[in-house]
This record gives sequence, C-alpha cells and structure tokens, in this order.
Amino acid sequence: MNKVIGIVAANYETPELYTLTKDRTIASLPYCGRYRLIDFPLSNMVNSGIDTVGLILPYKYRSIIDHIGIGKEWSLDKKNGGLFVLPGSAYGVGISTDRFLLRDFGQNDVFFRRSPSPYVVVTSSNVICNIDYKELYKAHLESGADITMMYKISGRENPYLSKLSVDGDRVTAIEKGVVPGDKAFIDSFIINTDVLNAILQGYKAVDYKDMFDCIADALGQFKVNAFEFDGYAKSIFDKDSYFKGNMDSLSYDVDRNLFSADRPILTKEQDSVPTKYGKECEVRNCTIPAGCKIEGQVQNSVLFRDVVVEKGAVVKDSIIMQNCVIKAGAVVENAIIDRRNTIAEDTVIKGTGDNILVIAKNKK
Amino acid sequence: MKKNECIAMLLAGGQGSRLLALTKSIAKPAVSFGGKYRIIDFSLSNCANSDISTVGVLTQYRPFLLNSYISSGTSWDLNSRDGGVFVLPPYATESGGAWYEGTADAIYRNIEFMDIYDSDYVLILSGDHLYRMDYRKMLENHKAKGADLSVSVMQVPWEDASRFGIITADEDGRIVKFTEKPAEPDSNLASMGIYIFSKKTLVKALIEDHDDPESEHDFGKNIIPKLLAEGKNLFTYEFSGFWKDVGTIPAYHETSMALLEDEPEFVLDDPEFPFMSNSNIYPPQFIGPDADVKQSLVSNGCCVKGKVIHSVLSTNSYVEEGAFVKDSVLLPGSRVKSGAVVIRAILGENAVVEADCVLGSEDENDEIALLGNDECYGEGGLK
Repeated sequence: MNKVIGIVAANYETPELYTLTKDRTIASLPYCGRYRLIDFPLSNMVNSGIDTVGLILPYKYRSIIDHIGIGKEWSLDKKNGGLFVLPGSAYGVGISTDRFLLRDFGQNDVFFRRSPSPYVVVTSSNVICNIDYKELYKAHLESGADITMMYKISGRENPYLSKLSVDGDRVTAIEKGVVPGDKAFIDSFIINTDVLNAILQGYKAVDYKDMFDCIADALGQFKVNAFEFDGYAKSIFDKDSYFKGNMDSLSYDVDRNLFSADRPILTKEQDSVPTKYGKECEVRNCTIPAGCKIEGQVQNSVLFRDVVVEKGAVVKDSIIMQNCVIKAGAVVENAIIDRRNTIAEDTVIKGTGDNILVIAKNKK
Repeated sequence: MKKNECIAMLLAGGQGSRLLALTKSIAKPAVSFGGKYRIIDFSLSNCANSDISTVGVLTQYRPFLLNSYISSGTSWDLNSRDGGVFVLPPYATESGGAWYEGTADAIYRNIEFMDIYDSDYVLILSGDHLYRMDYRKMLENHKAKGADLSVSVMQVPWEDASRFGIITADEDGRIVKFTEKPAEPDSNLASMGIYIFSKKTLVKALIEDHDDPESEHDFGKNIIPKLLAEGKNLFTYEFSGFWKDVGTIPAYHETSMALLEDEPEFVLDDPEFPFMSNSNIYPPQFIGPDADVKQSLVSNGCCVKGKVIHSVLSTNSYVEEGAFVKDSVLLPGSRVKSGAVVIRAILGENAVVEADCVLGSEDENDEIALLGNDECYGEGGLK
C-alpha cells in the first residue's frame, strides 16, 4: 500500500448530538468503553498498510490532539510518512449530509500535490467499522476507475446518508437519503491523486460545497465505481445512532467483527488497573473496560474507564462515561451520563427507550 | 551525553525454577501478574516514578519475551534521549564469551555500559519482586549517611528470617553484620536485594571480586561481606510496606488472591505512583447475558459468559458458557471451555481447559493445580 496515502476528514459537526459534542467534536466522542470515534478510521488506515495519513481537524481540535498526540499508538510517529495534521476550514461542515467539504481539501492541497502516491483513501471520522482498504484498493486498480466509493446495503432509513445508484459497478446517481435495501455510501472512498487535484482546481470557486455534490453532477466526466462492504458499519450522526451503536457492542457477533485480532482497533494507551467486581455485584450483558469498580447492578450497558458503581446502585440500558460515580441506591436507566458526573445517592435518572436522557459532562 | 546522577541495573536473568511450568518458556520477571502486568513492570515503574531514566536490564534465561516486552521502554516513559532501557545479555570479547556466573559477575561484565552512562550512584535491583518504592528516598538517605553501599531492608516475621539475607545494624542504621540465610538469626531485618552503591566503590569491589577465584560472584554472599570486612560505610534503608518475592506457585497463588480483598495490601491503583505496563490494546471486557462475576479482577479483552468467583482474569482470557472458575488465576489468553470447572488453579498463558473437564479442587490440602503456558487440559489429563 505504499502507493496510497490516507485522509481522515474529521471536520464534521452536527447539532444532533446535543451536549455530547458541546466540548468535543464527533471525531473524539467516546465510544464502546475505551475508544473514541477517530480510533476506527485511523486504525483502519494503518491496519490496511497506509502509513501516511493526513487528518483534517475541526476547529475544536483540543480533544482530538489530546487523544492522538503524535500518533504513537497507531505507529504513525514515523520518520518517513506518519501522521500529518491538516487544519480544517473555520466553521467546518455544518450541513448534516455533507462530509467532504472541498475547502478542507483545497486548503491543504500541498499535501496532495507533494505526495508521490498516485492514490488517496479518504474516510470520514464518524463511521464505526473495521475495513480492510486493501480490498478497495485492489478493486479500484482492477476497474481502472477514477473514484471508487464504498457502500453497504442499508438496513434502515437514514436521511444523512447518500444513496448510490449503480449500473454494474458504475455509479450512475448519488442522492441524499437512504431507505432499507438502498446502497448507502459509508463515507469511505479511494480516488486517484491527479483526479483529486483536478477536482480541487476545477471547483475552487464553489469550495463551500461537498465533494460528492459536485461529483454527483459530473458523473459523466469521472469514472466513479461502487464497491460493497459487507461487514458491520454504523454511522454516527445523532444521539440515537450513537446510543444504538454503543449498544450494538453488546452483541457478541458485532463485538468480534469490529474488534478482530488481525486488525485491532487501536487507541490511546492508559495504565488502568483491571476492573474490580465486588462480592455482591450483578453484571450482565455489559461492555466494561479496565479501571472500573463495580459493587452494584449493571445490565445491558456500556461503561467507560474509571467508573464506580456503588453497592445498591442500578444501571440499566445506559452508557456511563469515564470518571462517573453512581452512588449507592441511585438508579440510572436509558441514559447517557457524560464524563465526570456523580449521581447522588438514591437519585433516579430515567429516560425512555425512545428518548434517551443525556446528562452533560461535568466540567469540574 | 547528559550525566545521570543514578542509573539502575536490573537483574532479570534468573529462571525462577520454583515457578515450575510458568517459567518453562519465559524468565521469571516476564511472568504475568495482577491481570495485566508482568513482574518486571513493578521495578521498571518504580524506576520511572523515581526519575531514574537509565535502566540496564541483565538477561540470560529465555530472554525473548522480555526483550520484546521491554521494547523501546516507551511503555514506562523510559525512552528518553539521555537514557532509556537497555537489554544487556552476556556477550563475547577477544578472550571468548561466557555466561553471567552470578549477580555480581553480571554487573562486572557491564562496567563498560555503566561507564557510558556515567553516574555517581548505581542502583542494583532484582526484576522479580512485587513492591512500590520511591528509590529517590533511598538515594537521599544514602547521600545523607555518606554511605558506600545502602541496602534496602524490611522487618520480616522472626520465623521467616532464616529464609533471607539477614542484616544486623546499629541504631544509626550502620550495618555491622550480614548473614545469608542464618540458621539462628539475631535480627529480623531482611535484605530486599535492592542496593545503592557509590559507583567507585562498586567498580572497585567488582574488579577485585572477579579476580578472586574463591568467590561465587554474588552480591549477598561475596560483595557485601567483602565491603563489610574492609570497613566501608554500609547502611540500611528501612522500607515498610508491601514487598513480595512470588517465587513459588503457592506464593504466587496466595499473592494473587490477596489482590481480591476489599482493601488489598498491595495496591495496584495509585495515580501518584502508577504501575505501567506494555499491554496490547484489547477491546473492553464483554460480560455475557448469563454471566456471573463476583469478587474478581477482570482485564481488557476478557470475555465472561460463565461464572467467575474470587479469581483474577488476565488480559484476553475467556470463560465460556456454563463454565465455573473459582479461586483461580487465568493468565493472558487462557480459556476455560463450556461446562468446565476450574478451582484453586493457575492457568498459564494461552492454556486451555477443555469442555466439561474439572481442574483443581476445593480441598485446601491439595496443591494448587497448575497448567503451563500453551498447555491443554482435556479428559484424562494433559494433552
């Protein structure tokens, strides 16, 4: 894969995640016990043998840099190649259906122009999946396409995703919104570097647009192909998809598909001690990282590092983020408790299956 | 190169043969402990937390896992520009090569290394002990006393004293007598095998010891008595707190079980003085819908679908549906298959207990059941 460089486009914002993205971007949302969303695209890149990766950062980049540093955990702290931090444009992608703002790429065009690699793999930062891009690369080479877009057959309606219409492998139309059975673009594609440079040059005047809005109107000019991904993929756009995605990890099949030993999802290393289960705790169907102390009852939930569930506390169908304490007798159900919160003794925090309650991050 | 005040030399070449199957393929300092650590993590973390940034690790017995585990030392923040962790195996010279013939000989053969990282003091450590210690305090004490050699000591129960190197010291902490494993101890201050030498004293003593044909080249047996006889300034540094040499299977099992107490004596979790390790990045633990986990330590990458009571589950271990694990230690990657029962046992790394098999027993008179690394226990015994 030395002919391929990678781009992770992390300059994407949406109001649909409410307080969860008040102090952080989607890319740095905590996910599945010990990860952040950005871990998935970065790990996919390096697991596919791509070791030069440009990361287009959003305006609120503190939490991402805090997490990634110089890319040590992904072996991207390299002499040749490695991690390149690329500043995104000031206000980022504000439209929920847009992902690849031309301006974000145009602003960093020197990265592509200087690259000796003829191909670029581009991915967004909000799709949870474990992809081997080598397969995409192979299909792209064989077909001789300019662009090859990855899709997955959609299982549910989603207004934020794009639907691909195809003739054979050739994409004939790109439209917003998918219904079950559609071919939904999963925001990963490979593009010839010269085609990318031509697009950035040609569309300079309208660089506020999404790359695929432009390409959709010019499918006659470019040879755009589609390539199916049949593994697990979950796009995170709003509170519900975030919650459901986390809960998906409780299904063991998903767990193993996502966290394969051959292609591990890498993340910032922490020195947390193993989790301690108490004498009277009751834990069922949970994803729990190291560093927790559990004395109470936890069911169908995802915990993050350093969470304490005291004796007599009950946590059900919830996500409890790092450094939270659920005090004795407290009940948490259908809720997302953001970082550093203490749920006081005998307090009841209950959302419903249709309306998950979010307790914002405690800034103390 | 920037001068280091004190560098550490960590003895990690021992086999630890009393750990039986656990050290069949790896050195004792590389044996897994506490769910996600290897025994050497504790000494390396102590060094890092004590601002000692240059550590030579002397290896000899089955070093491969240690080598790859220590790697660049980055896991302990020991990958500094002016120092770092260096694995030091025996090497050959113009006059041929030889194995390290004792603890003192191992250090003697690396005087050249110590000269590169020129320091005033040298801390000699053993890589197979469990403890948390700030070596800076010991060094301060060493300097304050004007010592040539400081020996870290702790009080042990009188009945255990004859198992240790026993030190008799005066009120000021000056060592007056050192006896290796005395039959009738006159003190209960035991040497912990942690020494700070003023470098000049160390180098001179090592060279003289090397030339002594009678010597066994051992710090406890030869170097300390020699310096004492010469009338050098030898002082104790008294340590109180948890310190353990898990040299045998019963000790290993007992020490592991003690971690499960509500207030364990050996605190793994101290944010001010953290133990660091080079663990792989595994997914969080998955606790299945019918699982039952009580009074246990569980590490990342584990999957529990059965019942686990009062046990330590190390990274990436797996307890299948209907399996039962009690009072046991599962080392990394081990697996208890469905319906199997594991009681008072230690499962080595990647060891497997086949479905519906029973390993170990509740009977306190029985020995702790032990399955070695990569071994598989099936119907009728080992496979």
